[in-house]
This record gives sequence, structure tokens and C-alpha cells, in this order.
Amino acid sequence: MVTIDLAQIPVRDANEQIRNYGEAGEDVEVINPDARHHIGVGLTSPISVHVKGSAGYFCAGLTDQATFYIDNNVGWGLGDNIYSGTVVVGGNAGAIPAIGIRGAEIIIKGNMGSRAGQVMKAGTLLCAGNANFMAGYMLYGGRIIILGDSGERVGEDMTGGEIFVGGKVQDLGSDAKLTDMTEAEHDSVREFLDRYEIPFKGNFQKIVNAGQKLRYGSPERQMRSIPFFTFSGASPYWNPKVQEDIHIKSQSGRYRIRGYGTARALPHLSDLAFAKDLSRINDSADVISKVHMYTEIGGLNGANPLKLSMPVMVSPMSYGALSRSTKHAIGLASAMSDIAENTGEGGMSDAQRSAAKQLIFQCLGGRLGWNIHDMKRADGLEIYISQGAKPGLGGQLMAKKVTKELADIRGIPAGIDLRSPSRHPDILGADDLVIKVEEFREATGYRLPVSVKLGAGRVRDDIKIAVKDGFDFIELDGMQGSTGAGSSEVIDFVGIPTLAAIIEAEEALAEIGRRQDTQIVLMGGMRDGVDAIKGLCLGADAIGFGTSVIIAGGCIACMQCHVGQCVTGIATQDPNHEKRYKPEIEAQNIHRFFESVRWQIAAITHALGYDDVRQLNRGDLVALTPEAAAITGLPYRPVGSESQSEVLAS
Amino acid sequence: MAVYDINRILMPDAPSEYVDDTGQGHYVPAPCQVACPVGTDAPSYIAYIWEQKFEQAFEAITATNPFSSICGRVCDAPCEPACRRTDSDGPVQIRNLKRYVMDKLGATWTPDACPVTRKQSVGIVGAGPAGLVAAHDLSTAGFKVDVYEMSDRPGGMMVWGIPAFRLPPGIIDEDIDRLHQKCPGLDIHLNTALGRDIKLNELKERHDAVLLCIGAWWGKAMGVPGEQDERVVDGVGFLRRVNAGERPQLPHTVVVVGGGDVAMDACRVAKRLPDCEHVIVVYRRGPKEIPARAIELKGAVDEGIEFLYNTQQVAVEANGKGLSLKCVRTDLGEPDEDGRRRPVPIAGSEHSIGCGMVIAAVGQQGENDELDHLGMMLKDRVKTEWETMRTKDPKVFAAGDGAFGGSTIVMAMHHGQRAAYYIKHYLEGNDHPLPYRTPYRTRRVPVAQDLQWELLPEQHPKFFGLGDNPIQFPEIEETYSRETALKEAARCYRCDAETGSADYSVQQREHIFSMARTNPLDAAKNHAMLSCLLEVRENPVPDNKPASLDDIVFLPANLSRLVIDPYREACKVDTEVGRGLPISHPLLVTGFDSTPVEVRQAVAEGLKVVDSPYVGQQPLSDDGRWWQLLTRATPPSHKAEVVLYSAHDLPASINAARPYSGQLVGIYVSDPMDVPKAVQNGLDQALDVLLLDGSGSITTPWAELKGAPDFSLLRDAIALLRKLDREEEIDLVWFGGIRSGTDAAKILGLGTVAVVQGTAIGIAAGGEIQNESLVFNSDLNEDDRSTAVINLIKANIGEASMMARCTGKTVLYNIEPEDLRAITLVTSKLTGIPIVGTGNSSVTELI
Repeated sequence: MVTIDLAQIPVRDANEQIRNYGEAGEDVEVINPDARHHIGVGLTSPISVHVKGSAGYFCAGLTDQATFYIDNNVGWGLGDNIYSGTVVVGGNAGAIPAIGIRGAEIIIKGNMGSRAGQVMKAGTLLCAGNANFMAGYMLYGGRIIILGDSGERVGEDMTGGEIFVGGKVQDLGSDAKLTDMTEAEHDSVREFLDRYEIPFKGNFQKIVNAGQKLRYGSPERQMRSIPFFTFSGASPYWNPKVQEDIHIKSQSGRYRIRGYGTARALPHLSDLAFAKDLSRINDSADVISKVHMYTEIGGLNGANPLKLSMPVMVSPMSYGALSRSTKHAIGLASAMSDIAENTGEGGMSDAQRSAAKQLIFQCLGGRLGWNIHDMKRADGLEIYISQGAKPGLGGQLMAKKVTKELADIRGIPAGIDLRSPSRHPDILGADDLVIKVEEFREATGYRLPVSVKLGAGRVRDDIKIAVKDGFDFIELDGMQGSTGAGSSEVIDFVGIPTLAAIIEAEEALAEIGRRQDTQIVLMGGMRDGVDAIKGLCLGADAIGFGTSVIIAGGCIACMQCHVGQCVTGIATQDPNHEKRYKPEIEAQNIHRFFESVRWQIAAITHALGYDDVRQLNRGDLVALTPEAAAITGLPYRPVGSESQSEVLAS
Repeated sequence: MAVYDINRILMPDAPSEYVDDTGQGHYVPAPCQVACPVGTDAPSYIAYIWEQKFEQAFEAITATNPFSSICGRVCDAPCEPACRRTDSDGPVQIRNLKRYVMDKLGATWTPDACPVTRKQSVGIVGAGPAGLVAAHDLSTAGFKVDVYEMSDRPGGMMVWGIPAFRLPPGIIDEDIDRLHQKCPGLDIHLNTALGRDIKLNELKERHDAVLLCIGAWWGKAMGVPGEQDERVVDGVGFLRRVNAGERPQLPHTVVVVGGGDVAMDACRVAKRLPDCEHVIVVYRRGPKEIPARAIELKGAVDEGIEFLYNTQQVAVEANGKGLSLKCVRTDLGEPDEDGRRRPVPIAGSEHSIGCGMVIAAVGQQGENDELDHLGMMLKDRVKTEWETMRTKDPKVFAAGDGAFGGSTIVMAMHHGQRAAYYIKHYLEGNDHPLPYRTPYRTRRVPVAQDLQWELLPEQHPKFFGLGDNPIQFPEIEETYSRETALKEAARCYRCDAETGSADYSVQQREHIFSMARTNPLDAAKNHAMLSCLLEVRENPVPDNKPASLDDIVFLPANLSRLVIDPYREACKVDTEVGRGLPISHPLLVTGFDSTPVEVRQAVAEGLKVVDSPYVGQQPLSDDGRWWQLLTRATPPSHKAEVVLYSAHDLPASINAARPYSGQLVGIYVSDPMDVPKAVQNGLDQALDVLLLDGSGSITTPWAELKGAPDFSLLRDAIALLRKLDREEEIDLVWFGGIRSGTDAAKILGLGTVAVVQGTAIGIAAGGEIQNESLVFNSDLNEDDRSTAVINLIKANIGEASMMARCTGKTVLYNIEPEDLRAITLVTSKLTGIPIVGTGNSSVTELI
């Protein structure tokens, strides 16, 4: 047993020591904890840590196999995402104890705060006292035992798992119901109480999911989409698309769902042109060797940056929305082109990890697939706040796509209609977010860049907060980003276009004097090197490609990703469809796509008279439409105006 | 054209005399169409088949192909390997679909005749696919055409090279008859051979131009010792005998040397002839390299033919009564000039195959003594320049296998089209026409709405193989049934067409596909690609685009809104109007005052279930909630919970004391000019509701169908109230153009408490849009109509709530103008909502 005195050393050093002792098999005692945050975070060895006093936020978070004893009280997020192990708290716990745990036994001898066990997947949370409101909120699996009173709205929107209440069930949450407890469950709970020597004589009431929400009587009729040009532009107000929406909604009784990005032409980078004559493009033979494109992203606060051979990375797309084979192909291609790949929501597979040279691991509110081991083998961590396609809403994965393998990797029951929450349980404000970011850094030894992904909305405000929260870089996703499944109306009408997003971001950064050191990765509807270079001119530091990557790999843009029976084997988990996809062949196609992007970026940069992509700037662009001019503030030079015609003639 | 070569990126212009749609938006020729040498609009005919519009399908099929009946059975179908579905679960069976249509209409269709309109004439030597297609194109261009054919039948290799079990004679007649009907000025002179019966000079005198399509009629030698034995025959010669009607007795074992289509036909013919029990195909490369079409290969295997791959003949020896074909085994070496890996003999692998006959199908060549004598021949074909299709004689052109070596029927047809093009320009005195390019058309057929399209496997017609009496050469397979044809047609990806994606349009997807198929070192392709990408797209906001709710977006809650309503998975939608009138949700309904009674009843029932008040001059039912629209002729009814006076027709003094207790009173205003008066009256008399009618006339049935609503009423009413600082004193309700919950949420966000839906509910209830009105003639029953109305209102409430949740609200009415942004200037101007980005609307002046 060694003693670590938090009055003497900071938590960061203490955690480093705890992990080292853990590897050596040495138990640890922490004195003078004084409710400091992040105590023990990231420990993955089977040792015991005794906190002699009270702990702050995220005590024992992101750990595996360890045993924690905390003598007094703990702050919120106790045992965040624990994989396995034991935590015993002598006093009370703050909000969201056992958030997102994937195993482990957590015992709180006093009372516990609100939303206990939110998005928990497995394991047991026991509270010997009373629970505050919404215990078991969005519970996916595992069990919560409350010996005292349940608190209000217990089991709100739970999907799986059980809640046993020994005291009063104050009121049931939405889609929760009381049911009978089996003998075996009764015995199991008793055994658990006996093991931790917790006396309790009373009886339990059992709460489970009522199965009313997220299940629909009449599924939406599957249609191949109506081409956009028949309903956007100047076509009639009650166009065929409007009528089809009405017909389908009047059958299903709910909003329509589909995959892919916007179905309406919005202001886009395409509405910009280059200000200079690009005739030099034609005399550039070996342009790639003439332009410096290597880009490091994420080194702002001392983490190891992502090292990109060009200012390009793969946008986050999940294994779940996409098939394993597709993620594999994208991983391989990203390595061949020496750029970074991203897991998207829902976990990291071994195949994906080994295929991608650099891999960002994305963390969402549902904490699906999130775990300390994969964090440690990632090259970057990303906190998803929202995405361009459906900002402000949670994810949706139809039951058809939730296979056994996928459920295992996400840590949830197979075959459920999976809806992930619209926000993180432990990020309710900018201040929480700072502590969350620090937790990730603690857990991974400050080695990895931590980024935030934002669907473009109130970009001016959001960017300033993200900068203040100390992220290493920002991924800004305009509303032209795509999704595997989302409300068609949200895809088309929520958020702002990518073109506007980067403008607002740049202005916000300028206002706070952080333009020079804040890195932005712009994504959402980026299709080629020309789009990319316009994004770079407007101030982005790198560009994310998503949909175009899967198109390069065979997607035909039928917009039926949500159905789960993708004809090309891309957006499916059905093995009979997935086998249609040939990862090795498609990896080559995707790689060639990225190499074309590289060539295009180099050729235009060179033609503009530069030898480094970092020289690109706003002055290189003009606006072709009044909208683009208004949105960007760039000079308006419509096609046909004198200066523009020169540009086009080149 | 290879499907993904540079021409796909920068497609050269098609000559202007052809219909070509590649310059139009929203269309890119699909890979199958590009792979087709004659540019058949396969996606359109496939889609027409699914729609069961067979005549239109027939038109699309035959537009560029006078031998569609033949091609439906025996085309090499390069479209199918190019089909994108090939890589998934097998190509769309494009050829079988063509056959289905041709079997249906090919024999009976009578095309319009194209008369001779020009003075010049063209003489064509050879009535094969190249010659006859050229004849077709030149005839339809108005020239008099004479074709000179050495055999006794027109059709060339289509007749003499393909056995009847694959191509029954009646099918050939169908196409030839149709050709004659269409081209009355076309004469085919049979039994007239060049050199023997007619000289080139005579042709040149008789005609203004001559086209030589002499074919590759003669088999090439294998080049091995012993092949002079009379039991060694050439493949095309063998097929010619059989197609002439002979059914020779064959030895027990026959070896066919070669792996092309002639070899496939020869081996399958042999298998059907008397006494032949065993047929072996010897091919020098492996099964992956064999050039035979997969389906012919499979047919041969299914018929019991043995294949020896990686085996090369080295000699033929007489062996008593039989023959011995000496062979070696091969490995694949380096690629040769045509890109295929060269077979390399394996030392010590010599072996013999015993047989009674060897059929050498190792290639064909053209021969003609007269042309040879005139110095116009290369070793095996007429010396021809591909760029112009000319021979060394300025008046003489050449095409087809006899000019460019053995190929496929459809490629020969392409040659015929090219030659016709250059001959036509030559005759018109234009020596330097635009280079020929296959034109590509689209008929813009909608995508098949078959729900099974992703699941349906390849549909194969029934295969008969040898049949009961092989020597009769019965046809090997059946045509599709209607059911299988429709299923197969549903499988088409429609690579030519737009899907619903705006940013990934068909053109954009093809660019990405091309990028993914560009060698990074191919500078020419990279340059071509870049010049395409630099082209300017059409402005998505055309000058005449009106302000639209579509061009307003919601700003989602992200970091800046985290603390607002943290548990926002639910949303409150009920509220109160005026002096305490509760409404369960903000969606009211109007428009059914004069619809058929069964529709009124059904809608009334639906509205009761979802608790939506009806807004109209009459109630929909005795016990439903009703907001009464008053006209001068109608007094307020005690049954209405709200009475609304017309702003156009306001009484001197609205009885602000209210005629019935608990009843709310308001004004509806349809004319923007009346807004100030209505606002002033509403405030002065302390009324509850101001119903703003953006349709121009809420009392006219389906007035919303006239177009986009006029939002200036809302903008002006709010501006007035704000100016007076009395926004809280009267509730605004909006009518006009609300199509969805999203539209509703936007209007609520702009400052209204409820919206009235008319046309949308009418469509749900079975109304069809006709002449700016709704017509109810569908066969929905009352329950269906009620359910549809209930579902649509529920769905729209759900949508509106979702928009609130996206903006971080858990109460629908908390959406504010500040949560909205405009994405077009005209919408920004008309609604007062700032545009996204810099918010610099001063650019408006530029418009």
C-alpha cells in the first residue's frame, strides 16, 4: 500500500502514479482528496484505491478492473463509463452516478443525485438511500437497486435493464412501467446486498421499459426519393415532394425518416469562384511536389497532433450506419493516403483500428461503444455535440441494423430501436464541458488531442465557447452533412449551410483574437478538391470528407440508408447485403479519390501562385450569387461580369 | 469508349444532327449506356418496362439499333459488365429485358417510312450488321442505298455465324422486315459478290459513295503442323455449313480450339449434331481470361461441354482413324500489347487429346481478291482510317469486321453508324466534320418505385439447354414472363438519374466516381477532372424565386444553449388562445365548407380525435370545435368557440362585449392593405385573435393552391404591434401555405400562437390537385380519410415539436424569431429574418 497526498501533488501527477502503481500491482491510498476532480481516472489495473475523504467529479471514471473505496461523498459522474470493477462510496453521490457504465458494481451508502445510471449498459448500481429525479434515465441495460425512494420520473425513456425500488416509487417516467419481480431476480438482489453487507428487510418493486415509445404501428412506406430539382428552385409550392410527404405522413402518423444529406440545393461553396486567373493550372505538371500540404492538427495544448499528408481527413461515420466492410475500406484508404479516419458513433472495431493509421475516437451522449481501452489506442478523441445533418437531436439506428456484433461493440442489447440522447448526460453547460475534456486528458495521459464536433447553428457563440473550453481543435459540420438516418425535415431545415458556418466561425474567432491558434476542420457537403480549397481559403485548417468517400467506394446515393438493406452493402448490417461490398477494391477506389483531391488542392494552390496551402486566403475568392456575397461578404462577381468572364475563360 | 476514360470526364460534343442530352442538367449517361457501342438508352427502357409502357420501351430500344430483336437474344451486351450492380449481386439483365420487349412488339410494330429525299446514292458491300446499319442511317437521312450481298440472305454473321438455337431465323426476319418498312429506298441485292458479280469501279460509277463491309468471313489458321488435315475445320466455316441447313454427322469426340464467341457457338453446335458425344474446348489462358460471354460459357458448361484451360495446341497428328491434338500446359506471363497476360508454355507438360475432329476458332479474317488486287487490303482486312472511316480511295469507305478485325455485332453496328456519319458529310461536301461521337439520349423516366429493388436477385429466364430434340436446334431459353421482367427492371440503380440528393447530384456523383477511378499519375485525366469541377453550377436561387418558408432554417442548440431545458427529449404543445381558450396543439384546420359530405364527416371525426378546431363558415359537425368565419350575411353562432369578422367587411362596431359568454372574438384579414385597420381594430376593441390569411382568401376553397403565401401580412402585423409595444395583447393565428409541422414551427416562431392548415389536410383526406383546386374522387372510405387526417396532424405536431427540441426548447411556443435564419435574400427581406453568415444584407441592393 502506498500513500499519495493530494495536498502535495496535483491530480494529474497523482493519476500518473496511480496508473504506474496499478501496473506494478500496488494498492494505493489517497489522502487529502478534498473533493478534487478526476481521482483515479483511466486506471486499468486490478488494484484497490482508497480515497480517504471526499472526491469530486468523475471519481473512478473511465477505469477497468480496479476497486475504489471513497470514505465520504463524491461529486457527479461517479464511475463514469467503468468497464468492470467495484466502487463503494461511504456517503452520498452527486448527479449521474454510474453514467454509461458497461459493467462493475457501484454501491452508494447514502443518497444519490439525479439521473443515476443514465445510459448505463450493464452492471449494478446500488443506492442504500434515496434517489433524486430520473434515476435510470435512458437506461440501456444492467440494474439499478434503490433501497429508499425512487425519486420522480424513475426509468424515464429507459430502453432496457431493470430498476428495483425498495422504498416508494414516487412517479414513473415516460415509457416505464411496474412489473413483477421473478424469484431469481429476488435472490440475485438479496445475494448482492448480502455480499456488500447491506441490511434491508423490505420488498422491491420492479420497473422496466413499457415499450410504448420508439415502436411504430405502421412503418413508413419505403420510397425511392423524388429528385430534388422537381421541388426546389422555382417549382410550385405544392410540389410532388410536398404531396408525397403528406401522403406518407398521413399513413404513418409521424415524421419521415431517411438517410443522406440535404434534398434541397442550398448556398454552397460552389457559389464561389476564384478571383484570380487560373490559367497556370494548365502548365503545372508535377504540382504535388511543388506545394506544401502537410498539416498537423490538434497540437495546440501539447498533445501529439494528427499528422496529415494534406489538410484532409475522413468525417465521422459510424460502424452501424455503415457496414463493417465499409469502415474497413475507409480505414485502409485513409492509411494509404496518410490522413486521419474517424470512428463516428458506436465504437471502434479491431479491423478498423488496424486498418487506419490515425484514428479519431468519437464520444456521444449515449456513450455507445465508448471505453477506456479504445480511448487509449486512439490517436485523437472527439466529443460530439451535434452534427450538421441533424443538429440538436440524438442519433437513430433502426432495430434492423442493431445486430449482435454491433450491440456487443456498443454495449447494448441486440435488436432494439436504438435512440441515443440528444446531449451528453454530463455536459449540461460550458463549465461541465471543461471538466469533461480534462477527464479525457487525465485518462489518456494528456497524449491525445481532444476535439469537439459541432453541427452548424449558432456558430458565433458555439465557437467562442469551444475555444474557451480548451479544445485542441474544432470540427465544424455544416447542414449539408449527411446521416444514416434522421428526420428528413431536420436534415433539410435545421442548421446553417457549411458556407455560412465557416464565415461565422472566422468572425467569432477574430472577435476574441483567437484566429491564429484555433484550428477548424470544416465538413458537410465537401465533394472534391475544389470545395476543399475554397474551405481552406475561407479559413478552415483542414477539410472533412464523408459522403463523397462512400460514393467513391460505390454508394449510389439512393438515400435509403435508414432502411438497412443497402443495395451496395454500404449502409447495412445484413450479412447477405454486406458481402456485396469488396473492401480491398473499394479501398483502392477511395484512395484514388483522395489522391485526386490532393492533386486538385495542389494544382489550384499552385495556380493561385502559392507553394503552401497555408497561404490560401479569402482574397482568393469571389461570390457568384447575391446570396453567397451576402453570406460571405466576398465581392459579388456574377458569371458574365467582366472580371468573372476572364476567370472563366481561363 | 471505356466507361471511365477521359471522355467520360470531358465528353466531346456530339455532332449537332443527333439528339444528344449530355449537355442538359440532371442527366449523365449511365455506365451501361456508355458501354453500349450504339449508346442505347437502357436506363429509360428498363424504367419503361417497370412502368409497363412497352411501346415507349420499344422506341427507346430501337432508336439507335435497327437490329434490336437480334440484339435482344445474342448481343454481346457490354452494358452488363458495366452495370454498377454487377459488383453487388449481379448486373441488371439488360439484354433479357430487351428481348422481353422485342418478343412482345418486335414482330408487329410498323415503323414510319423514311422516303428518299436526296439525289445522291450509296452502294454498300455486305449485308452484315455494319453494312445494314449504315444503310439504315443513310436511308433515314434521305439517301438512296443499295446493298450488295454475296450470299443468298441478308444479315451477315448474324445469319451465318450464330446457330438457330440462340437466334431463330424468324427473329432475323423481324428486324430485316422492319428495316425494309422503315427504309423503302433501300435495296438489297443478294448473290452479288464484289469482284465476282460486280466490280468496285462499277459501284463507284453507279453511286456517289461506296462503303465496304466485307466482314471477317474466313477462319484464321492455328499455325501448327498438321492442321491441313481435312478433319481440321475452321469455326466460322463450320457454323456457316450448319446455318445453311446441313446437319453433318460428327465423330464421337470433337475438340474446339479457342475461347471466343465463335468457339462457344461451334462447341454447342457440335454437341447437338448426330453421333457427337463429347466436346472439349481447349483454351490457352485461364477461366478468368476467357473472352466468351459469361452466359454463353455457362450455357456450354450446362450442356455438358468440357473445358480445358491453360492448354495450348502445338500440333495435329493423324492417329489411325482419329486425330491426336498435341498440347502443352501454360502459365500466364507478362501482359502483352492488348493488356492480356501472355500464355507461356510449361516445359515438360506435353500431352495429347484424342478426337475425331478439330474445330479451330482462333479468329477470323476478311478476304477479297479484287480489293487485294487494287492494293486496298492489309493482310486480313481493308486498310481503313478509323478517324474518317476512309480507305485510300477517296470515294470508298469501309467498316465492320472486314475493316477493323473480328469483333461483336454491336460493335459492327457502331462502325456502320460512324461510317454513315462520315459518308453523309462527305456527300454534303464537308471533309472535316466534328469527330463522330455516339449520341446519348435520356427519356427521363422516373425511377421505379418497387419496394423490393434492393433485395431482388437476378431474374433468369428458364433455360432449356439442348432440348428434347437437339438436332432441330430448339431455342435454348425462354423469354421473361411479365412478372420476372418487372422484377428485373426494378433492380436498376438508375445511374443516369437524379436521386433526391442535392449536393450529390448525378453529375457530382459521376465526378466522384471518376476521381475514384483516376490513376494519380494520369495528369491529363486530372486536368480534365479539374476543369469540370471548376464549372459554375446553376444558381440555386434563381431570380424569380419567391420568398419561401423553405428558405428559413432553425438554429440548433449546441454549446450555447446547453443550459436551456436540459432534458429536452419531450416537448409541450398545448396552450391557450385569447382569454383562456385552451387548445391541445397549435394546428387548426379549414377548407371543407363545400366538400362532399362524406369527406366533411370523415374530417370532422378525425378532428375530434386530435382535438383540432375547425375554421370555416359552417361547423363541420354538431359537436366538433368550431371557429366561425363571418361574412356580412351570417350572424355569429353560439356554437362557435371563436367568431372571426372579415377585416374587409368590418361592422361599425364589433360587439366587444361578446354575443355569447366564453366566446372569443377576432378578425380575419386576407388583404395586406387591411392589416393596419385590422390590427388597430383588434387592439381598440380588445379582441382575442387576429387571423392572418396569407392565401388571399380563406373563404375560397383551396385558395392556397394559387402559390406561395404572402408573408407580408405577418411581417406587417408584427411590426405594427411591436411599434405599439402591444404584442402581448392579441393572439396571431396564421393561414396559408402550411404544408408540414416544420412550416408550422417557423410560423409559430415568428410570433403566432396557432396555424390553420387547409390544403395539406385536404390532400391527406384524399384530395387530388387539379386546376388549382382539390378534387375528391379517390376511393378512400370514411375511416381511411379520418385516419389519414389524424395521422397527418399527429405527424405535423411531432415535426413541429422536433424543431422546438432542435432549438433547445421543451415548449413549442418558445421558438422565437431569434431561432430562425434565412438562406435567401428575398426571404430575409420579406420576413425580416437575418440571412446566415455575415448577416450582411446590404448586398440586397445588388439584386
